[in-house]
Amino acid sequence: MIKDFIEKSRAKSPWMVHFDCGSCNGCDIETLACLTPIYDVERFGVVNVGNPKHADLLMVTGAVNHRNKHALKKIYDQMPDPKAVVAIGACGLSGGVFREAYNVVGGIDKVIPVDVYVYGCPPKPEAIIDGVVKAIETFKAKAREAA
Amino acid sequence: MIKDTLLVLFALAGAPLLGGFMAGIDRRITARLQARFGPPIMQPFYDVAKLFGKQMIVPNSWQVFCAYVYLVGAVLSVVLFFLQSDLLLIFFVQAVGAVFLVLGGMAVPSPYAQVGAQRELIQVLTYEPLLILVFVTIYSVTGSFKISAIYAHEAPLLKELPLIFIVLTYALTIKLRKSPFDFSTSHHGHQEIVKGVLTEHSGPILGLIEVGHWYETVLILGLCALFWATSPVGMIILITATYFAELIVDNAMARMTWRWMLGYVWSVGLAMSVINIIWLYAK
Amino acid sequence: MPSLLLFMCILVPIIAGVLCYLVRIGFARTLTVLVTGAVLTAGSLMLLGHGTFTYVPPSPWAGLVNTAITLADFALLAIMFGIARKHRSKLIMTLVVLQAVPLLFFELFMVDHGAPAPGFYGDNLSLIITLLVSIVGSLICVFALPYMQKHEAHLHLKRSRQPQFFFLLLIFLGAMNGLALSNNIAWLYFFFEVTTFCSFMLIGHDGTPIAVKNALRALWMNSLGGVAFVFGMIGAHHIAGTTDIQQIIASGPMGGALLVPLALLCLAGFTKSAQVPFQSWLLGAMVAPTPVSALLHSSTMVKAGVYVIFRFAPTFAGTFFSQGLAIVGSFTFLVTIALALGQRNGKKILAYSTISNLGLIIACAGINTPTALAAGILLIIFHAISKALLFLCVGTIEQEIGSRDIEDMRGLFAVKPRIAVITVIGIMTMLLPPFGVLISKWMAIEAASNNLPAVGMIAMGSALGFVVWGRWAGILMSASYKKGLKPEPMSAFVNGPLSVLAGGAVLFSLVLPWIYSLLVKPMLAFAPYQVHFGSLDSSIGGFTVIPIFLILAAGFVYALKQAQKTRARHVAPMYMSGVHSGGPDDETFRGPMNKIVQIETGNYYLTRLFGEERLTFWVNNVAVALLVLMMGGAL
Repeated sequence: MIKDFIEKSRAKSPWMVHFDCGSCNGCDIETLACLTPIYDVERFGVVNVGNPKHADLLMVTGAVNHRNKHALKKIYDQMPDPKAVVAIGACGLSGGVFREAYNVVGGIDKVIPVDVYVYGCPPKPEAIIDGVVKAIETFKAKAREAA
Repeated sequence: MIKDTLLVLFALAGAPLLGGFMAGIDRRITARLQARFGPPIMQPFYDVAKLFGKQMIVPNSWQVFCAYVYLVGAVLSVVLFFLQSDLLLIFFVQAVGAVFLVLGGMAVPSPYAQVGAQRELIQVLTYEPLLILVFVTIYSVTGSFKISAIYAHEAPLLKELPLIFIVLTYALTIKLRKSPFDFSTSHHGHQEIVKGVLTEHSGPILGLIEVGHWYETVLILGLCALFWATSPVGMIILITATYFAELIVDNAMARMTWRWMLGYVWSVGLAMSVINIIWLYAK
Repeated sequence: MPSLLLFMCILVPIIAGVLCYLVRIGFARTLTVLVTGAVLTAGSLMLLGHGTFTYVPPSPWAGLVNTAITLADFALLAIMFGIARKHRSKLIMTLVVLQAVPLLFFELFMVDHGAPAPGFYGDNLSLIITLLVSIVGSLICVFALPYMQKHEAHLHLKRSRQPQFFFLLLIFLGAMNGLALSNNIAWLYFFFEVTTFCSFMLIGHDGTPIAVKNALRALWMNSLGGVAFVFGMIGAHHIAGTTDIQQIIASGPMGGALLVPLALLCLAGFTKSAQVPFQSWLLGAMVAPTPVSALLHSSTMVKAGVYVIFRFAPTFAGTFFSQGLAIVGSFTFLVTIALALGQRNGKKILAYSTISNLGLIIACAGINTPTALAAGILLIIFHAISKALLFLCVGTIEQEIGSRDIEDMRGLFAVKPRIAVITVIGIMTMLLPPFGVLISKWMAIEAASNNLPAVGMIAMGSALGFVVWGRWAGILMSASYKKGLKPEPMSAFVNGPLSVLAGGAVLFSLVLPWIYSLLVKPMLAFAPYQVHFGSLDSSIGGFTVIPIFLILAAGFVYALKQAQKTRARHVAPMYMSGVHSGGPDDETFRGPMNKIVQIETGNYYLTRLFGEERLTFWVNNVAVALLVLMMGGAL
């Protein structure tokens, strides 16, 4: 019974940590807009934490450059399992307009495994919330696999 | 004996349920005050259950030790509270939990946790003398430090010790980590120096701390309830009103600095205690 | 029977001290110290088993002992005068003369040498002090054996000064026992002066300019106490007409007349216990080798001051003076722990905390109800054990890492796990329930709860203590994970005393209810607490000592079991915004220009609020004012 409750709770309490990997801040504003009264993702138990050690979801924005890819990797590594990654915005998906720049890696999935891609430049908050819901499902599945 | 056993069982099992429930209400009302819908009332239980289901990541074994001792201290103080024992004894046992929370934070040289632990120490420094003074004045009214004597007292303490009750609510605010005193670590959505003293706790260890915090909430709200010990309805009214006032204060206030807290709470707290005691003797 | 036991407790250490001085062989010295320790331990325990006693040496001896002590007294004063002249200290010379002249007058014209002189008297109070001196003191002396060897190796001395060191240390043990067991106030004075002298010599032992300066300061402050003692003694004799301490106490509550001499005796106790404004000598005394600090300046000698106050406490019960004592004591408790908060020198923190606890003990004597007295006596016992342990820990750490700054002890657990854990245990026994110091503090608060200023200051002081101890314990364990950490090797003479003291601090807390009912209760006017099922119960409160001890112990063991399950695979590096540079035990991050930066953290010391240079001036002034008020109350 307790195990079931824990399984159920995983989906009901996704704490997110938001990492700006060289974004223009457009996606970041939209991501944080999800927490505002209009969208209020806390309805689903989402809490914006400041620390990967507390987080279940990693929300990454930005094109990723050669300097901050190490930080991205380390933050991902510091999250305890089960965890999921949501890449937000055109830059996060592929590098966007910065793709060809000399210092840009171009895409979060080149550094860490990404579970959900939310496209748009910037994506709407509704889309981001959709992404979060999708991510919850994936890491529920991951937890089941691990068990 | 049977009554005592039931009380212990209630303290062990009921207190965390009650504490978690209070935390749920807290988040819901806070959300409403911010024109949001807010999470379900059960949310704190989901959070803790999830934390227990997460992978274990610790910086070292000493932190694990500290987290468990913190929980033991918090649980034992609540049990003693329900057994109506000595107020000072309860307070000192609760201090075991408090010190191990700090030690757990200091377990790693992480700057965030270290600063948080130092601030937590200042918080303890701020509320400890006030709580002792509250207990001493309760003693001067009831003639005993035992909680049973408060129940035996015929009038509600609130009538004789209104200012002392306010002093207690200061301690409550600090203990619940509500604004303006939430700088050693902060609650749910908020962040302060990442997560202050709890930055390095994660997964099941953070879950333990959270459960311990529920016990502490129950303890300190229980202490508030003692001020209207003559009627059960009065106790519930008092707790509800106090808790609601806490939430309003939390949402209306900004976070302040520890210097301000130490100066303000000590001076106001001591002044109110003295005035109340003089009033008590004058009567 | 008492004659043999008294011989064991008082004369054996003195003889052993002389032996150490004469026979300059390391092995013989070790053997002497060990044997003396064993004799002292056995003697004090048997004395305790013997119970309350009065002993006057048989007729030719009594006079001889008395004459010998009187002559030794003047000899000691002469030596002190010589020292003062050598150092050209007019102040000390004056103070010595101020003692010698009245003493001469007292011995020649006041004391009736024809009457049978009082001898020794042992009640539970003196027996407790004797036990502490004999057992804790012996452990510290054993610890001093390897310590002094290392200490001298570090100083590169040509000629070892250990014979003189152990001579003084052992003489001191004998004098302390003599002080606790004499029933003759003139003898008490003599032993009081011997402890002053030993303290002076041992503080100046290293002979550095700072050591000499601090030793002289200790000498003049304690001589001031000596002057107060002489005049108090003369006054008491003038009124009570006897040098028998028990008779003086019995003639006590007659009213105001005896209060002035008693106040002077208490003032002597204040200087010896380094209460504000006399705290500076004890802080200066921290330049001495650590065993000296542990023995003289925390667990035993400073207890001589509170012993004198406790001895005479029944005589001033209920007076304004007693109330004043409660306020001055709790004031000391508050301000010295506040001063400790601003410190990062480990020995200074311990020194301030010692003064603070002595203040609380004195406050208990001032409150003067059976509850308060019980609290004070328990605090004397438990503070002595825990504080001796902590001093020895700091001494050990200092020899290991070469610093007594607590910031330098950060993460000691990863380097020297054994001493770090013992130190943390020592700190816990000072700070937390269910340990004796905290239980005595609980009793003190309940006893003081009718005295609002006192209880307010005690409440604030204990909160400050929480910060002082909490952050120190935190620092010691603040270390990254190390795989396969093994306790460091430790010599038996170091490990033995540390383990015995740490074990004692924990186990004696477990049997506290019995210590209370067997040792403390018999000397109180009525029993404030009933003991059943290992709980202390009274009408105003109760402390369920044994159940709480057992539950917390079970909790600790369970927590330890859980902690031991930690494996390397559980360990993650600390959060440093994703820029930490290495693995879990790496405390660096990658900074600007790819530079590897070592992280540094430090404690709050709040020096702007609690700094020594900021507070001391005010503290001393207020303390002087309070003292004047208290002494005025006696008039």
